[in-house]
Amino acid sequence: MNKSGTDIQFAICGSAGDGTIASGDIVKRAAAAVGFHVIAFDVYPPEIRGFGKCISRIRVSAEQAYSLKEKTDVFISLNDSHAIPHVGEVRDFGAVIYDDRSIAPIREGAHITAHIRPAQIPYGLPIRQISEQATNAARSRNIVVLGYMAGLLKLPSRPFREVIAAKFATKPQAVIDANIRAFDAGLEAGRKVFRLDDVDVGTVPDHGGSEAVMMTGNGAIVRGFLEAGIQSYFGYPITPATSIMERLAVEMPKQGGKFLQTEDEISAIAATIGAGFAGSRAATATSGPGLALMTEMLGLGVMAEVPSVVVVSQRGGPSTGLPTKTEQSDLNLAVFGGSGDAQRIVIAPTNVEGCYRCAGMAFEIAETYQTPVIVLIDLYLSNRYETVFPSHENTFAPKPRKVPELAEGEPYKRFAFTESHISPRALPGDAGMVHTVTGLEHNELGRPGDGDHMRMNAKRHEKLISATRYPGLTVAKRFGDAGKVDVGILGWGSTFGEILEAMFEAQDAGISCSAMKAVMLSPLPVDELRAFFDDCRTVLVPELNYEGQFANLVSGALGRPVVRLNRTVATPMPVADILAEVKRLAAEADSPERIPATAGVGS
Amino acid sequence: MNKRVEPVYLEDKLQEIRADGHLKYRSKSLPTWCPGCGYFSMADGLTVALNRLGLDNRNVVTVSGIGCASRFPFFVNTYGFHTLHGRVLPVATGIKIGNDALTVIAVGGDGDAFAIGGGHIPHAARRNVDMTYLVFDNGIYGLTKGQTSPTSALGFKTSSTPYENGDAPLNPMMMLLSYGASWVGQAYAGKPHHLTDMITAAIAHKGFSFLRILSPCVTFDKTDNTYKNLSMMVRDLPDGHDGTDMMAAMALAMQDGHPALGVFFQAERPTLAEVMQTSIDRAQQASAT
Repeated sequence: MNKSGTDIQFAICGSAGDGTIASGDIVKRAAAAVGFHVIAFDVYPPEIRGFGKCISRIRVSAEQAYSLKEKTDVFISLNDSHAIPHVGEVRDFGAVIYDDRSIAPIREGAHITAHIRPAQIPYGLPIRQISEQATNAARSRNIVVLGYMAGLLKLPSRPFREVIAAKFATKPQAVIDANIRAFDAGLEAGRKVFRLDDVDVGTVPDHGGSEAVMMTGNGAIVRGFLEAGIQSYFGYPITPATSIMERLAVEMPKQGGKFLQTEDEISAIAATIGAGFAGSRAATATSGPGLALMTEMLGLGVMAEVPSVVVVSQRGGPSTGLPTKTEQSDLNLAVFGGSGDAQRIVIAPTNVEGCYRCAGMAFEIAETYQTPVIVLIDLYLSNRYETVFPSHENTFAPKPRKVPELAEGEPYKRFAFTESHISPRALPGDAGMVHTVTGLEHNELGRPGDGDHMRMNAKRHEKLISATRYPGLTVAKRFGDAGKVDVGILGWGSTFGEILEAMFEAQDAGISCSAMKAVMLSPLPVDELRAFFDDCRTVLVPELNYEGQFANLVSGALGRPVVRLNRTVATPMPVADILAEVKRLAAEADSPERIPATAGVGS
Repeated sequence: MNKRVEPVYLEDKLQEIRADGHLKYRSKSLPTWCPGCGYFSMADGLTVALNRLGLDNRNVVTVSGIGCASRFPFFVNTYGFHTLHGRVLPVATGIKIGNDALTVIAVGGDGDAFAIGGGHIPHAARRNVDMTYLVFDNGIYGLTKGQTSPTSALGFKTSSTPYENGDAPLNPMMMLLSYGASWVGQAYAGKPHHLTDMITAAIAHKGFSFLRILSPCVTFDKTDNTYKNLSMMVRDLPDGHDGTDMMAAMALAMQDGHPALGVFFQAERPTLAEVMQTSIDRAQQASAT
C-alpha cells in the first residue's frame, strides 16, 4: 500500500481456547461492515485444544493493502506467556492491552509489563474481573478487550454489537446478551482512560455503492466453484484445504450438486477424473501430501485427456511437515509430479479475489484443453481474510457443449490430430461415438499402441500453449515503474502481496523498481516473463521454499540468471527481508561489480 | 454322462450367433488374451448379457484397472475407461456420480482388486454405488508373467515365490459379504452359460453387485487353478440356499475348498445416488424455509 489514510493493524494473542481467533473475527467483520479494506491472517497450532499459541492479526485500511504490516498498532494479550515473545512487533507509541490483575503469584519477568518497551504504551485493565462482573464468567475476556479497544480508539460501537449478535445468532438469547454486556463493560473501562490518539481511524472510503464481501481464499474458491456450477466434488480432509470441502458439503446440494467424502486422496482424484469423463464439472481439493498421492492419477488425466480441477493449498513440508503453517514448496510437485512427460495447467492466484476468479474459470479451462487444471494456493492464502468488492457479473457458468460432428460412415477419433491439437470430445451417452480411453499410449482412435507416441506427446504439450493467451485470465502482470528498471521482483502465489508492499517502499526510497506476478506456472507465460527480464537489470525471486523452485523453473525456461530470496520460516515472507534485498541489489546496480547469478540461496 | 451329442454344423452355429444380436456389443479389436484363457467366456458372457438386457451401448461404460482382465474395455463395443492399477472402483464411482443414467460395469483381476485396489472395495460396497464389479480371479499375475497374487493358494510356486507361497490367501467372498455389498455371487469360466446368467443378474441388480469369476491362467499356472482342478472343485449352490440370509451366505463363503457357484447374498438398500438425492432434497428444503 502506498497511500495515506487509515491503516491500523490489530493483533490479539492468546492460548487455544481463549477465543483469540473468535475475537479477531469480530474485529475484521466489524471493520468490513463499516466499509474498510481488511486483510487478516490467523496463526494457530495443529492441536484442537491444549495450550498452543493463537494469534489473530487484522490490518484495517482505507486503501487496498496487499499484506500484513510488520509492525502492529494495537496488541492485545489474552495470555502473557504466549504474548511476551510478540510484544516487540508493536510499533513505537503503539498500544499493548493486557490483564493487570494476576490471579496467581508470578515470578519476576513473567509479566508482560516487564517486556513492554518505554516507547510502547501500556494499557492494563482487570480483564478477568470485568468479565466476571459483567457475565459471571471469565469466558468473555476476549469480548471485554474488544469493548476496551473500541473505547480507547473511540471506534463506533454499533458495528461491534451487530457482529457479536450475528456471531452468536444460533445460541440462546442469554448468550448474546452476556457477550453484549461484556463488550459494554469493556467499552466503559476504555472510555475512562486516555484516548490513544496516535492511532487515527480516519474516514471510511467510498466504494461507489458496491458492498464489501469479506472472505478467505478458501471461501473465494468455493464461491468460484459454485458460480461455475460445480456438479461433483470428491474430497478427503486435509489441512489447510478442508474448509473448501466443508463449505461445499453445505452449499453444493442446494444447487443439486453431488458431494462425496472419499476414502483417500487417490479415490478423490480418481472419482473426479471419472466424473469428468462422464461430462460432469468435477473438482477436488487437497494439500501437498494429498497431491503426492494424486500424481499418478493426474498422469492418467493428461494421457486420457480428461478434464479435472484440483485445488492444492500448500503447507510446510516435506512429509506431514508443518500442517498449520504456510510454505510454497509444492510447486515442483504441482508442475512436474507424476511419471513421464505429463504437461498440465497450473494457475496460482496471488490474492483472495484471484482465488475466486481462478476457481471460477478452472472448469472451462480444463474442458477446453481436456486436461487437469491445478489451482495452486497455500495456507496463507487459504486462511487469510480479505475484503473483496465484487463488481463483475458471473461469467463462469458453463456454455452449451458442442457435440462432435461426424460424416456418414466416418469413424469417431477421440484423439484426432487437429490444427489446435485439441480433439473434439464425445461423452458417454453420445450416439455413434463409442470409444475407450486409456492410460496406455494410443492412436487417434484410442487403441493401445506405441506407433504414434512422438506425435501424441507433441499433441498433449502443444495443445496447452494457447492457454497462456486464455481470454479473461491474467497469466502474468507487471506493477510499479514502467520501462527499464534497476530491480525487478518476480513472484508467485501468496507472497506477491509482500512483494508489492516491498516494491512500494523501495519506490518511496527512490529505487527504480518494478514487480511481476506469474499466475500461470504451467505452461509458463514466457513472452511476458522475457519482456520483464529484458527491462530489469536484476530480477529477484522471493519464495517460501528452500532452494527457489520457481526461480529454477523460470531461469531454466528463459536461460536467464535470477537472484533468489528464500525463507522457510513457517510464516509469510517478511516485507523487510525483500526490501533489504532490493536495496542491496539497487546499490550493486550502481556499482560496477556484477552480481553472482545464483546469489543468496538460503541467505 | 455318455449322452449322445447331436452334431453341430459350423454354418448353422454362426447363423444362430449372428441372429442373436449380441455381436454388436463386440468391438472391432480382437482380444489379446492367450488361447484358452478363461477370460474369453467372460467377454462373451458380458456381450450376451448386455444383449439380453437390451442396453443401448452408448449408455454403458466398462471401466477397468490394469492387468490381463483389465484389457476388457477394448474388446466390447461400449464406452470404456482403462484406468490405473487398482483404481477401477473410484473412477467407476465418479463416472456413475457424473452421469447416473449410465450403466457402469467395473472389471478387473484378482491382483488389481484385492492387492493394490483392496482399499477401495469396502467403500464402493458400503456406499452401494449402483454398478457391477466383475473380478476375474485366476490367483496369479498374468500380465507381468506369473507372480503370486492375494488369492494364490499356500504352497503355490511362482516366479516371486520360488520356495512356495507362504502368505495365506484372502477369501474374497467373505470380504465382500462383510463389506456390505448388496449382491454377492460366484461363477466359473468353465461354465459359460451359468456365467452369462450371473453377469446378467449382477447388472440387473440395483446397487453394488460383486461377481467373482474363477478362471484358470493357462499360461502361467499349470498346477493349481487349471480347468481340470477347478471343474472338480466347484459345486452348485446347496438346495434351498436363502439368498437373503447373511449367515447362510457366510457359511457358504467359508467353504472355499469347494467354491459354490451362484448368488450367495442379495439385499435391497438405498444406492449412493438415492442417498445423495436425499441430501439434495434436505438442503433445498432447508434453504427454501
